[in-house]
Amino acid sequence: MKKLYYDAKKCTACKTCEIVCAIGHSPSKDLYTAVLEENVALPSVRVYVGQEENYPMACRHCQDHPCVQACIAAALKYDPQEGLLFDKEKCVGCWMCVMVCPYGAVRPDFRDSKSVRCDLCADIKDPRCAKNCPTKAIVYREEKI
Amino acid sequence: MKRVVIIGNSAAGISCAEALRKKDKEIKITILSREDYTGYNRCLISYYLAGDIKEDKLVYKPKKFYSENNIELLLNKKAGRIDSKKNQVVLEDKTRIEYDYLVLACGASPKLPEIKGIHKKGVFGFRTISDAKGMLELLPITQTACVLGGGLIGLKAAYGLKKRKIEVKVIVKSSQILSQILDEESAQMCKRRLVENGIEIVSGSEAQEIIGEGDCRAVKLDSGKVIASSIVVVGKGVKPNIELAEDSGIKFEEGILVDDYMRTNIPNIYAAGDIAQSYDPILEKTAINALWPNAIEQGLIAAGSILGEPNKKYPGSVGMNSVEFFGLPVISFGITKTPDGFEEIALKDIRQDIYRKIVLKNNVIKGAVFVKKIENIGILLKLARLKVDVSGIKDKLLRPDFNFALTKDLQYEKEAVYL
Repeated sequence: MKKLYYDAKKCTACKTCEIVCAIGHSPSKDLYTAVLEENVALPSVRVYVGQEENYPMACRHCQDHPCVQACIAAALKYDPQEGLLFDKEKCVGCWMCVMVCPYGAVRPDFRDSKSVRCDLCADIKDPRCAKNCPTKAIVYREEKI
Repeated sequence: MKRVVIIGNSAAGISCAEALRKKDKEIKITILSREDYTGYNRCLISYYLAGDIKEDKLVYKPKKFYSENNIELLLNKKAGRIDSKKNQVVLEDKTRIEYDYLVLACGASPKLPEIKGIHKKGVFGFRTISDAKGMLELLPITQTACVLGGGLIGLKAAYGLKKRKIEVKVIVKSSQILSQILDEESAQMCKRRLVENGIEIVSGSEAQEIIGEGDCRAVKLDSGKVIASSIVVVGKGVKPNIELAEDSGIKFEEGILVDDYMRTNIPNIYAAGDIAQSYDPILEKTAINALWPNAIEQGLIAAGSILGEPNKKYPGSVGMNSVEFFGLPVISFGITKTPDGFEEIALKDIRQDIYRKIVLKNNVIKGAVFVKKIENIGILLKLARLKVDVSGIKDKLLRPDFNFALTKDLQYEKEAVYL
């Protein structure tokens, strides 16, 4: 399946990815409306600022997926074609996925006690972070292991 | 046709059955359960007790799952003993079930203290749907509930009952709650949060007797104090259900001893989940880490072994817990109280309820506790499990922006995230 990869040298930490992610997952999907929304989504991609390079990180949709095993609410499933599928309604906010994610790519949203994770923009089947990255530091391509 | 019999219909048993069926369409799979429910999640019963979720959300494997996967599920069947010479499980009703492979995934039971009246109605362990339902039935006549023990299960029950507007008193012998999983500082933070939300912690006392005529009416403490209470929850830990293995020739200590492939000493018998005593890479000895994620993983490994997949070696189980009380999330794993000869690094902001502590030995992470700011702890867990030397990044581990990229040179992944 296709996954997200990051070129840390190209990333300028402009955080466009974080913004388009949050807007894209908010009810209105529109910047000017979303900023005023109470329940604007948290971005599932985060950029960590390094010394010389910067590092975006979002769910890796791992073939080996400890979060799925750890989920006590059966809210997570793995599909070899679509990656990690998250049934938000089932999530009880136990944070077991946060506990076991080796990438630190799942975060808690304490406002609604649901975890925040990348769905590769399943609604448009084209991750907004990669599409909108001005330096092409985020690459959406076939997985190579 | 080969037949696999799995005793226990929870995390380990079900994950084993599911993995077997995925790889082998022919093999005959039978699951025995002494309970009356299809697969449900034990960890969710505190949410159910609290009223946060409905009963239907507890069940994660409905009947359909078993029929679709051609898994025979025998409910209300209690295994009495194992006749390993004849490859048979003997049920309590004397029926014999033959197996080619046997998986012991029969879990654990609450440890009940040997005090007078412990078997009265109204005294519960907190492990099954029936326990939660029993408590819910008593809510209308209950003003006060007592929880015996300050462990995770007991406190989760306390939280659930408090949310149902019941007065809750937690009776703890030691001065620290959650002493198995937290250090003193983080336990103090949790205690404060519980007390602020109306849960009373009675420290330094132990229950001596449950008083009542058939039904529980009060708890008498060793201090002489008597607390009127119609619900008592026993949260004194669990013990693996190993009675079954006695006289079967299966080796056990506290739990059933398994190797890195979930095999017991008897070639066609496996164990997984809360009953299994397996290697713990942090403690560097065998241990029982009775947790949902470990049970799932062990069930998968057992399935791999039965199917003869030699590369599926179990990396071992780690004690780890994630819990949230009244909006204060806490995650811990491994060793959290720094023993002699270990090193600790910590960051504390009491005013904001933020606490992060990491315990190391010879520059290898041996445990951690994160309070409130819980993000990224999974990276440390992975480094600990793989015993990675972190001396190069030790000063960065507690930074608020600690992240995967800081560890990427120490990484071990098959995949390069960063191009």
